[in-house]
Amino acid sequence: MMAIASTDTAIRSGRVTRTFLYLVLLLFALFYLLPFAIMVMNSMKPLDEITGGNMMAFPTDWTLEPWRKAWSEAQVGVDATGLRPYFYNSLIMAIPAVMLSTFFGALNGYVLTKWQFRGHNIVFGLLLFSCFIPFQIVLIPMARMLGIFGLAGSTGGLILVHFVYGIGFTTLYFRNYYAAFPTELIRAAQIDGAGFFRIFWRILLPSSGPIIAVSFIWQFTNIWNDFLFGASFADFSSQPMTVALNNLVQSSTGVKEYNVHFAGAIYAAIPTLLVYIVAGRYFVRGLMAGSVKG
Amino acid sequence: MGFLDIRNATKAYGSVQVLHEVDITVEEGEFLVLVGPSGCGKSTLLNMIAGLEDITSGEISIKGQPMNGVHPSKRNIAMVFQSYALYPNMTVGQNITFGLEMHGVPKTKRDQAMADVAKLLQIEPLLARKPGQLSGGQRQRVAMGRALVRNPDVFLFDEPLSNLDAKLRVDMRTEIKKLHQKLGTTIVYVTHDQIEAMTLSTRIAVMNGGYVQQLGTPKEIYDNPANLFVATFMGSPSMNLIDVTLRVEGNSVFADTTDAKGARISLPINASVNGLDGKNAILGLRPEALTDVDGSDARATQIAHVPNEVTVTEPAGSDTFVTTSFGGKDCVARMRADADAKPGERVTFAFNMDKAVLFDPETEARIA
Repeated sequence: MMAIASTDTAIRSGRVTRTFLYLVLLLFALFYLLPFAIMVMNSMKPLDEITGGNMMAFPTDWTLEPWRKAWSEAQVGVDATGLRPYFYNSLIMAIPAVMLSTFFGALNGYVLTKWQFRGHNIVFGLLLFSCFIPFQIVLIPMARMLGIFGLAGSTGGLILVHFVYGIGFTTLYFRNYYAAFPTELIRAAQIDGAGFFRIFWRILLPSSGPIIAVSFIWQFTNIWNDFLFGASFADFSSQPMTVALNNLVQSSTGVKEYNVHFAGAIYAAIPTLLVYIVAGRYFVRGLMAGSVKG
Repeated sequence: MGFLDIRNATKAYGSVQVLHEVDITVEEGEFLVLVGPSGCGKSTLLNMIAGLEDITSGEISIKGQPMNGVHPSKRNIAMVFQSYALYPNMTVGQNITFGLEMHGVPKTKRDQAMADVAKLLQIEPLLARKPGQLSGGQRQRVAMGRALVRNPDVFLFDEPLSNLDAKLRVDMRTEIKKLHQKLGTTIVYVTHDQIEAMTLSTRIAVMNGGYVQQLGTPKEIYDNPANLFVATFMGSPSMNLIDVTLRVEGNSVFADTTDAKGARISLPINASVNGLDGKNAILGLRPEALTDVDGSDARATQIAHVPNEVTVTEPAGSDTFVTTSFGGKDCVARMRADADAKPGERVTFAFNMDKAVLFDPETEARIA
């Protein structure tokens, strides 16, 4: 009798707790979504609705005009080109930089775990420095190096900077992932006659899906969102999206078109959002790899 | 010179020597098992034969060709790993032919070889599957298929059955033995399981502490262990070890010890007389050489009957294991299933003294 009564209350209180928990979570979710919702709302109303003081209200006059303007007409630099060329600049910069840093991170991880040499831990430790050194410290030496390489003020230069800066993190990811990869597989492949790169291409990389996704998301988000390197090392023709957005919002001439600014900010956020939606489930899975199951 | 020669091979990591001057010659078609407890150096030796680990000094040669410094893929060997080491991203078929592909064998020949091996191992229905979709026994077969397809000079097995459940392990053991008899290949097989060693091998190398303790046929190892380690490591239940004092009377030698009550008993020994009188020794006797009177070997030349008190009986179906005490130590006798022995009763034990061996208690070496 006692036992039945007590399980009964356990279930009932469990249900109450659960409802409360979901309510709190829902509240948090709304709270986090609020800024984005306001951005979307304001990017879809004419400017006078915003300046009229109705920032929190739904648009009365739905329009996509600010989106079109932000993309192809807004005054960003000298010309009224919109954000379009800078969006492409960012893509041309981010994609090669992400691929290069991911590839070399994988290669480093492979060597540091499966082809260990004397002092491999020291090399790994040195590589990790690049994860923790503040960006500002390297600005001047990097500018000098880019000058020497003849890459100053170019997209190529930005690719190099992001690629080199990314290797630390990608190496960390791949090294930890491959440390849990059975060494017997490498030995079996050696006996089968596969060499260094064949083992890498045919056996290791095809088994690295989750960690490639992690590296890809991490690198893409960081490189796409980077402002400091973009502002420091790019010239007008190679400025990335983040710098262009800043120029658009900060421009001191003419009327401040808040609706266009909101639309521009969403353009800048769309690629990273997309990457998360497409590869996000791998991200969680990859970060958990090794911690839960071997 | 044999098919596979290991001459004076040693292995050291820095100042720590893990293998000491190993000398083994394997003839073509032999099934050599390296057996020993973990850390005895058996897997290291196998990896040295495979070329996965360097040889610190000495030489390993296959078919008369020195293999020191030769890349694993150029030694014409194949290896089956404990974890099977199947490539998770490839199908069973691709796993099997990967080695051939790496060695530049054309596609049509690869497919033919794969079909032959798949038929031999009865894994044809699995060829399109990934290793993750296979059971333990199936993975084991695929791993063997991957080794077989290369048609190597020497097969190396590194504890291939230790990840299987008990029943499957016995089945696969028989399969491996059948395969060896059918193909007549040269095999070096590492295990810590002495039953696997006994059942599979044509010769066994018992290893401990980086030394080969004894190299011989299963029967030699079992009946004539070179030292106390080999005697206790091989056999289950393990060999009975009784503390005795040797006594010489004319031309005969007797081993004196005590029964469960502390009364003195004497066992006749087949040994030469020289210098044994008064010496302490350990008398080793396998459980099956210590039986009930009716169960004793009719062809034995010397059987000693000694009554003693039974402490425990363990009926195992086919036999009954009876525990008693000699010289203050527990001894296990293997009696017939329906032998009449009950705990607390006195039963007559029959010692088959033909099978008795003597060890020096200090050096642990064999005396007689």
